[in-house]
Amino acid sequence: MSQKKISRRELLKLSGTVISGAILASCTPASTPTAAPTEPPAATAAPTVAPGATAAPTVAPTSAPPPKAVEGNVVVMAQRNELSEDQEAQFEAENPGITIELVEQSTERFFAMLAAGAQLDLYRTQAPIVPSLLARKLLYDLTPYFEASELIKIDDLADANKGYWAESALEVGSGKIYGMVKDFSPDHTVWVNDAKFEEAGITPVDDTTPMTYEQWHDLANQVAKFEGDRIATWGFGYSNGWIDRIWMDRLAETGKSLYKDGFTKIDFGDDTKALANYFYTVAKERLCESPVDASPNGWAGGDFAAGILATMQYGYWFGGMCETDANRGKVRMLPAPTWSGVHQDPTVTATGFVMMSGTQVPDAAWKVFEWYMGGQPSIDRAGSGWGVPALKSQWSLMPNTTPFHQQVQKVLAGELAVSNVKLQYNPFLGEGSFYNAWNTHLNEALTGTITFDELCSLTEKDVNTLISEGISRMS
Amino acid sequence: MAATNVVSARRPPRSSSRAKRRSRTFYLFITPWLLGLIFLTLIPFIFGFVISLTNYDGINLPTVKFVGLDNYIRAFSDQYVSFSIGRTLVWTAFNLPIWLGLSFLLALILNQDVKGRDFFRTLYYLPSVVPAVAAVTVWKILLDKNNGFLNGVISLFQPGTAVGWLTTYALQGMTAIAVWSGLGGGMVIFLAGLQNIPDELVEAAKIDGAGSWQIFQYITLPLMTPIIFFQLIMGLIGSFQQLVYPLLLATVTGQYVSVPPRSIYLYMIHTYQQIFANQRYGYGTALLWLLTIGVTALTLIVFWSQKFWVYSGDIPETEGSS
Repeated sequence: MSQKKISRRELLKLSGTVISGAILASCTPASTPTAAPTEPPAATAAPTVAPGATAAPTVAPTSAPPPKAVEGNVVVMAQRNELSEDQEAQFEAENPGITIELVEQSTERFFAMLAAGAQLDLYRTQAPIVPSLLARKLLYDLTPYFEASELIKIDDLADANKGYWAESALEVGSGKIYGMVKDFSPDHTVWVNDAKFEEAGITPVDDTTPMTYEQWHDLANQVAKFEGDRIATWGFGYSNGWIDRIWMDRLAETGKSLYKDGFTKIDFGDDTKALANYFYTVAKERLCESPVDASPNGWAGGDFAAGILATMQYGYWFGGMCETDANRGKVRMLPAPTWSGVHQDPTVTATGFVMMSGTQVPDAAWKVFEWYMGGQPSIDRAGSGWGVPALKSQWSLMPNTTPFHQQVQKVLAGELAVSNVKLQYNPFLGEGSFYNAWNTHLNEALTGTITFDELCSLTEKDVNTLISEGISRMS
Repeated sequence: MAATNVVSARRPPRSSSRAKRRSRTFYLFITPWLLGLIFLTLIPFIFGFVISLTNYDGINLPTVKFVGLDNYIRAFSDQYVSFSIGRTLVWTAFNLPIWLGLSFLLALILNQDVKGRDFFRTLYYLPSVVPAVAAVTVWKILLDKNNGFLNGVISLFQPGTAVGWLTTYALQGMTAIAVWSGLGGGMVIFLAGLQNIPDELVEAAKIDGAGSWQIFQYITLPLMTPIIFFQLIMGLIGSFQQLVYPLLLATVTGQYVSVPPRSIYLYMIHTYQQIFANQRYGYGTALLWLLTIGVTALTLIVFWSQKFWVYSGDIPETEGSS
């Protein structure tokens, strides 16, 4: 009996088909990211408790089965410089069965992972982004975990954490807990380089009374130094990437909002225009970096550290890097300026972590979350001076020994007292959309292509279009 | 005879098994490329086209909607599309002739038998191997408006000089960077072409009394037109796809935002903003598809034009020739 042999060509074709099929199968999403429930699944194990503590009472009936060991590989999207390999190894040694897989933070990769249904359990984000993620049902409700935790007490959470609390995407500030800050800062304090004031013959600014934005503008004009057309000393620094957040906080001083009609439109009325005019003017006067005057060091913070910028609006966290050889002994922190006479200074970043609603290992992910937010890593962060701890009980760990830190802590205490301001961010706008629209048209206005009024109307039009598209995409 | 025919019918001829071996080797060699073409080019192309027909924003897969050709129609009414196309055409018209001309000139010079030729060839090629990010970073230090080295030197003679080489004159600044970076690569291609020109032709021309310019005009240039044609096509495609330089030269940057000066607001920058700053993945991929179609059309026009100016090796018939 003769057997038919497979020819080489047929074998190659077959191999190619098999390999292609295997590759295609591996590319198939494991699960489509549907509107996953924001409630945690029915627990088969009690939520994690801190080592050495007594087991927290659960809401399960008294006949609940004993908790089983928590295991799993937890994928965390974060920055490597905030979660070191040593820390990972320490956690894994203390928690056998749970491994941490860090994915370097990248928005593009985040989108790609969501689209592919790839595992992502914990995501580093900022509070202003939470409404947008919540509207897309991407967040896991962590309230039961917080309620049962022995390491993180809800009463111990600083007010800044409320940016991660929400009843819904349009009701942030109270309700279910979806995440937590890793640390935070009242973000509108102003750092000053007194050496530049001395050069200009100006008395250093008092750090006990908040100045107004107009006073800050005048100060910047006095301290800025020009050599012909060249800017030798920049007078005014601020984070133009947070322009909408700054405006929101300024408008909130008098109870106004940047958005109207249920966040479906931007409110570019007189109050908002006044703010726009302020920041347009400081750019036009070449007091700050702008589309026509690029920062020599890539960002205003770098300019301040290099000693060529006199005032810089950043939060407490900037104290971790702003003092350098170029300005040592001359740097102070001032209270946040006021726009309408009301002194308030909330955090507008509140960088922290959320758990993704599609996680398959919520218990293991919570263990990592709880350890990072309430365990040794949080203690290490508290003492670094790079942010106010998320837990009030750790505030005493902030550095306070050098004259620099003591001055900063003195001002910070006053800022923290006025930092509990609820800011509702727009869930229909992407993170960089407002900033992109404003700066694109600011570029046109500063080069004379359009007028200031056109700058406002074009920004308003672009933002409104983006909002309506966002609403359409979510419905 | 019949028996021989039967025997031949049973035993496959040796040439058939050799052909099979050759074809196996062929498939073996092209399989990696073929897989790459399918998975890294064709599938993304098709996937991109599908996305361009939706309102996908990167994370709205559960609620993504089919919008048909709306994204394509939108491109024709988007004033920034027409603006960015205009800037891209200006950039191409500015950068391409300079790059082509200078790299050809450099190749002509370095094709001479002069001392240190190899050293200079290497020197001029080095910028091509410098990564774009590193190159632009250094150029920004040199050309910064307020703290740049060049303005610093000029300030020695004209104090307080702050020329915006990368802001007010961003197009010129970017051209300088692009030409500096691409000169070596272009030079190498032209050199290869120059070295393929038969020496006998040049020698014969010299014997006939032709000067350098005549040799260049009637021998070198015509024989180099295929290389020039190739460089023109690659340069056109590269110019229209230019994203890295304006992105790195943006004066306003953020995690997803890049706002370069107006003069270098190229088409790819507008596309980048739509996708990453505005999360309009559908619209952005539609813009990319329109770019693909446009560049393909332009390439076909250049291909069609080659019959008028590219030497193909055929000597045209003249009157009276046999």
